[in-house]
Amino acid sequence: MKLKYRLPKDRQEMLGLRDNEEIKYCAPYDLAYENNKAEKGYIDDGYIVVTADTKNGGRLFVTKADKIVHEYELGKCDEVKCESLIDNGILTVKKDGKQYCLARFSMKHVARFAYIAKGADLIAKGKDREVVSTERDIYCDKCGRALPGTSKCPHCEGKGDTFNKFMQLCGPYKWRLLTISLFMIFSSFCSLFTPEIQQRFIDDSLRDASGTTADVLRFVFTMLGISVALIVVNVAKNWWCVTLGARISMDLRRKLYEKVQILSLSFMNKRKPGELINRITRDTSHIRQFMESVFGNIFSTVFTMVGALIVMISMDVMLTLASIMFIVVVIIMNRLWWKKIRRMFRMQRFKDDKVHSRLQDVISGMRVVKSFGKEREESQRFIALTGEFADVQKNNETFFAIFYPLLMFVMGLGMYFATYFGGTFVLDGIMTPGELMQFISYTGILYGPLQWMTNLPRSILQMVTSLERVYDVLDEIPEIGDNQTCIEKEIEGNIEIDNVTFGYKPYEPVLEGISLNVKKGEMIGLVGPSGAGKSTLINLIMRLYDVDEGAIRIDGTDIRQITQKSLHSQIGVVLQETFLFAGTILNNIKFAKSDATFEEVIRAAKAANAHDFIVKTPDGYNTYVGEHGHKLSGGERQRIAIARAILNDPKLLILDEATSALDTESEYMIQQALERLTEGRTTFAIAHRLSTLRNATRLVVIDAHKIAEVGTHNELMEKKGIYYGLVTAQLKMQGSMPIENPEDLLEKESEGDTTGQGDKE
Amino acid sequence: MRPPMGPPPGGPGGHGGRRRPPMEDFDESKFLEQSKDLLELRYIDDKNAVFKRTEGGFVSLDYTDKEGNVQHYDRVGVYRTFPMSNPDIFISIREPDEKAREIGVVKDLKEIAKETADILREQLDLRYFVPQVERIIDVKSEYGYAYFDVVTDFGNCRFAIHMSGGGVVHLTDTRIMITDIDGNRFEIKDVSKLSSAELKKIDLFL
Ligand SMILES: Nc1ncnc2c1ncn2[C@@H]1O[C@H](COP(=O)(O)OP(=O)(O)O)[C@@H](O)[C@H]1O
Ligand SMILES: [Mg+2]
Repeated sequence: MKLKYRLPKDRQEMLGLRDNEEIKYCAPYDLAYENNKAEKGYIDDGYIVVTADTKNGGRLFVTKADKIVHEYELGKCDEVKCESLIDNGILTVKKDGKQYCLARFSMKHVARFAYIAKGADLIAKGKDREVVSTERDIYCDKCGRALPGTSKCPHCEGKGDTFNKFMQLCGPYKWRLLTISLFMIFSSFCSLFTPEIQQRFIDDSLRDASGTTADVLRFVFTMLGISVALIVVNVAKNWWCVTLGARISMDLRRKLYEKVQILSLSFMNKRKPGELINRITRDTSHIRQFMESVFGNIFSTVFTMVGALIVMISMDVMLTLASIMFIVVVIIMNRLWWKKIRRMFRMQRFKDDKVHSRLQDVISGMRVVKSFGKEREESQRFIALTGEFADVQKNNETFFAIFYPLLMFVMGLGMYFATYFGGTFVLDGIMTPGELMQFISYTGILYGPLQWMTNLPRSILQMVTSLERVYDVLDEIPEIGDNQTCIEKEIEGNIEIDNVTFGYKPYEPVLEGISLNVKKGEMIGLVGPSGAGKSTLINLIMRLYDVDEGAIRIDGTDIRQITQKSLHSQIGVVLQETFLFAGTILNNIKFAKSDATFEEVIRAAKAANAHDFIVKTPDGYNTYVGEHGHKLSGGERQRIAIARAILNDPKLLILDEATSALDTESEYMIQQALERLTEGRTTFAIAHRLSTLRNATRLVVIDAHKIAEVGTHNELMEKKGIYYGLVTAQLKMQGSMPIENPEDLLEKESEGDTTGQGDKE
Repeated sequence: MRPPMGPPPGGPGGHGGRRRPPMEDFDESKFLEQSKDLLELRYIDDKNAVFKRTEGGFVSLDYTDKEGNVQHYDRVGVYRTFPMSNPDIFISIREPDEKAREIGVVKDLKEIAKETADILREQLDLRYFVPQVERIIDVKSEYGYAYFDVVTDFGNCRFAIHMSGGGVVHLTDTRIMITDIDGNRFEIKDVSKLSSAELKKIDLFL
């Protein structure tokens, strides 16, 4: 992301920069803010400029047109900040303990000013470090168009790209395409030729009754032959088209799936999962439909229509014009009504969706509806909705019942005209009856696919959009990936978190300046209020996201220098959201290590205290779980997830509230097992129930984006800080109320804790 | 040392609020106070609060709680609770830090002194930014994006949305919210008030 825009010359002169002063960051802001008030207006000639000065520390300017609105010596400021508000952001400085709002900007600039404010803040604090942004700009630098998630602008660099991509897609199937084209040309010839044969037959054999029965038979058989040939060719052509469409969409789906797996989570975060699924399923099937129903007919239809038109004109120009006239009328009618038709359909679908989602809501929330006794109200609401839907549908159907026959009638009018004029021509002897027949047939050929043709632009547009959306994903460059220098590495388990800053959105850091050294074999307990960033920290250790600043090193190697495969295969993880795939329990446990033996699986399950309940299910390890499978309780799912995590014998074990849904007894048992298991293994464990972390070598309290406290249980208890507060509050809640001194009990619990179990539950 | 147990202290406990200092001792009354907070809706009105504009463009508050203690805040956050449906009622006044603890609620801006209401409105105008689309000049689509050229109550504006949907949400049958690729939101209060030419331009998204 660009943090230093070019400042127009006169604006720069206005700043009066000193000798050693240079512009470090500069960007335009876009919302009016004057006299301490947010004004209702955009501005387009305002800049925020941050300078650095080797002697005096640098300044912060806010300009508007040819005026400097604010000017601050950064050295005298306590803090420069970009605050993100609702759909906008402001730049503030703190000076002499007072906070000032300097400028306001829309979301377009919030991320940029978050970086710039950070940079200015560093200068204010006398640190000599430049802030750079690795984020990609979402607008093209040259033409200002939005970039579709790629670094290439489709307008400036990718002209004709879509067509090329389409050809690329078809590339492997060019012989098939050629065959299809030949078939298409053949079938158009047949359709164009038929009226000619008919004309000859009428004029030569029928008109004066000069023909013989043999002539009639010959005509019938010729027609029959052509029909059969057409059918054969069309069937073959359609078959080829369908398989071609299926192949191409399968290719795309495969590529998309592979790509989606490579792309990092931050890409997924930007898009809704539903949208990605849509791209994989719906967009590819649009492309398939296009190949099947449009692509296969497009050439032959156009060819036939043009051919028919040429023949008609060559027969009689006037007559042709008379019959074409109504095509124009039909097209205009279609255009006029098209918008309305679309709106009608959309409305119908919209209402339909509403009915659906209401239904889904109520059915899945049936327990709530019933327990609040709201069945009547709900069914009334539903009836109202279906009523609306029915109304819309009825109107639409009525409209179509009238509109389409009308359209057909208008189209038919051309035919009447042609027949009238043609008829008089025949009577005047200018035209033979056969020729009239032939002409009318061609008119039919011309009008026939008209409906289809008017839809053509839309089909093509839809196909192109789908193709673009698909390639939008395929062309995306993964943010997290292995580069050439990445190595495979055996992990020992020393982890160094070095001044790490990270935010899912750049202007909202979740973690700031986190530093922590973890030695091999340590168990680190992470505690803190929910939303503090505990899960985020382990996401970073697993490198599901890359840190914004700082580094995470394992045994001295930056995790960005270790191949993802090698890193992930040595980490065992139980995530906060225990996710089981649709499949058997066995397969779910074996997910991390597909070649695990039965014994290994059972050992892992036993350690996770899952073996017993698994064996008790009717199908044992072959029990099918997942969406439609055997219903497991939250605790059972967690135990399977734990078994999955430890099966692989990982060097680094991560437990994110892994035992939160377990009863105390199970948790205790697992704890014991894990304790033996985690020996010599580095472990990160997050838990809200603090007794879960009693074996931790060190506890890390995360609060307000930072590490608030680090130490052993006893150290932190003595410190009487946040951790102490949490522990005491929990003890109170557990009902061990009537005690004189909470600390006594804590000590007892933290030392030997085999008796504490009973009275806790 | 405060006895850790006993009935909830009735009187003014240690003040909730402000940043959590390193505790000298476990301050149970603080927790109790916070949990009491959950059940309480404190109204702020002209009698118990004095809002003042600050030099830096924010608002400060002197709040007198039920026990008569005056608490001064250099800056408070002013939030809407029903920004879409009822922007002027139940204005939540919060501490400025990240935790944003609620100090109290102004029930209705119309029921407090006009001067105070104006101060709060200024803060709301700063905090919320959802331009209202008044006129649609042009919409064209290119390479999977639709480019809007509109007139809003903030003036002329051009923005781009994804064609692939999700960018336009119906709040009601006639009220729509458009989210552009930067995350800015634009509202059309009443679609039916647009001219038919304008409707045609956005028809694809309705
Ligand atoms: N995928 C995400 N995208 C954006 N924000 C997120 C995402 N995951 C978590 N957050 C935000 O980051 C903060 C920290 O979340 P998390 O690490 O899950 O907290 P914890 O595990 O400590 O409860 C929260 O404010 C949460 O809303
Ligand atoms: Mg979490």
